[in-house]
Amino acid sequence: MIYLYIDTSSEYLYSALSKDNEVLSFKKSKLEHDLSAYALDEISKMFEDAKLSPDDVDKIIVVDGPGSFTGTRIGITIAKVYAWAKKIKITTTTSLYAMALSSKFDGIHVPIINARRGFVYAAIYDKDMKELLKPQHIEEEKLLKELEKYDNYKYISNDEFDDIDDIEEYDPDLSKIISYTKDNEDLNPHSVNPNYLKLTAAEESKKND
Amino acid sequence: MNCGDDMKDIYILGIESSCDETSASIIKNGTEEISTVISSQIDIHKDYGGVVPEIASRNHVKNITIVLEECLEKANMTMDEIDAIAITYGPGLIGSLLVGLEAAKTLAFIYNKPLIPVHHIAGHIYANSLVKPLEFPLLAVVVSGGHTELIKMDKHYSFKKLGGTLDDAIGECYDKVARVIGLEYPGGPKLDKLAHEGKDTYDLPIPLNDDTYNFSFSGLKSAVINLAHNEEQRNNEIRKADLACSFENAAISSITNKTKKAIEEFNIKTVIIAGGVAANSFLREEMQKLCDNLKVDLSIPPMKYCTDNAAMIGAAGYYAYLDGRKADLKLNAKSQDTLI
Repeated sequence: MIYLYIDTSSEYLYSALSKDNEVLSFKKSKLEHDLSAYALDEISKMFEDAKLSPDDVDKIIVVDGPGSFTGTRIGITIAKVYAWAKKIKITTTTSLYAMALSSKFDGIHVPIINARRGFVYAAIYDKDMKELLKPQHIEEEKLLKELEKYDNYKYISNDEFDDIDDIEEYDPDLSKIISYTKDNEDLNPHSVNPNYLKLTAAEESKKND
Repeated sequence: MNCGDDMKDIYILGIESSCDETSASIIKNGTEEISTVISSQIDIHKDYGGVVPEIASRNHVKNITIVLEECLEKANMTMDEIDAIAITYGPGLIGSLLVGLEAAKTLAFIYNKPLIPVHHIAGHIYANSLVKPLEFPLLAVVVSGGHTELIKMDKHYSFKKLGGTLDDAIGECYDKVARVIGLEYPGGPKLDKLAHEGKDTYDLPIPLNDDTYNFSFSGLKSAVINLAHNEEQRNNEIRKADLACSFENAAISSITNKTKKAIEEFNIKTVIIAGGVAANSFLREEMQKLCDNLKVDLSIPPMKYCTDNAAMIGAAGYYAYLDGRKADLKLNAKSQDTLI
């Protein structure tokens, strides 16, 4: 089986083509604001590197968030249009799960993304990747309180935080991410959408009216 | 143009997502609409008094494959039968544009088809080619929520901007004045309807009544706001229908005056109205009178092509394709861009 993995939920493009668990080609590119321009171009080069054509892919694994709203939409749009048009399988995983999986730390994993204004996107997984706190948009202070229950944990992130340090830098282990997520449930491409974990500012303000 | 049996028909898949409509369309040879699907978010944004960009982007991503599928099903065609993919790359809301753009780039990549970048306003102009062939020299009067421009064309896909608005677009001004009068978003069409019930009794300035081809609507908008405010201070009731009629007369006069000047100066053969405000009945009536007097053809797209739609992008895409305009996978969306 040929798998295509796409994560554009941050300022990086993380993407890979694999034959089962063996990565054939990959991209880890910091594209920042150029993600919209270069993500698909980089992905197309990855096909060239692997000597594969778009028709060779059997299943797409796409990160549905949390993270950058626009960034996540780019990967999701590419993945769902691809899967729908070519009638191939598609499934999702989260950015936080991928981060935790890639940690080299032997203990509790705390993947964390800066959501600004004192909030983070975070989850907690034990060393066997059992979910202890589901991915959520949470106040940084509340997360710190939650973590008082545990010891021997490590943060994983590419972001900086005011009150959190000693962070393991996130470098995706693409082979491991694909092997852990490739058997996730196949989804209807129409139903594959970003999981923002947060309402828009306009919706928040309307809700509080 | 398909002039002979030996020429192959060209099918363009157009995709449009620059604001709050997700749309896909298949156009044959730039003039024949095979199928169009539009998913409008108007009811979603109504609750917020205008388009909320992030909500629009979120809905585009939800709708995109559904719209594409319906479009192909309606046409009874497959992607293999499509010759090229035309996409609105700008101007518009950046987050909205990006969904359509990534969808188009993905289709271009996985089917190895040409990707044609289309300026949104070129789309509005070419909506007219779905009605009848364009004849040159042509003057496009572009009137929408984001644009008020006069564009001269001497041949296909060649655009020369004579002038444009220096501040608010006419559609934007309509919506703001509608809000002052107390009409629900989108207020422009409601204001147009109300104007028909009133008389031109309020003294409002004709905006930027000068020798240029530029427009300015912020002064007119402020005049209406001040008038409404002053009447309120004096405890006078605003005659809403009369105010709507007076505003519409002033705003549309500004458009027709400059259109007349351009027709005379450039020996224009055809005038086309493009953009959402092309649906405005008063503008249609006044432009028809003007063109009848000056004996030039007037082309106004049917109502279905006045609002944002992908049929116009497919039509423009065909002529852009003939003109050799192709993009690679690095094509990016532009929230602002000049039509050239």
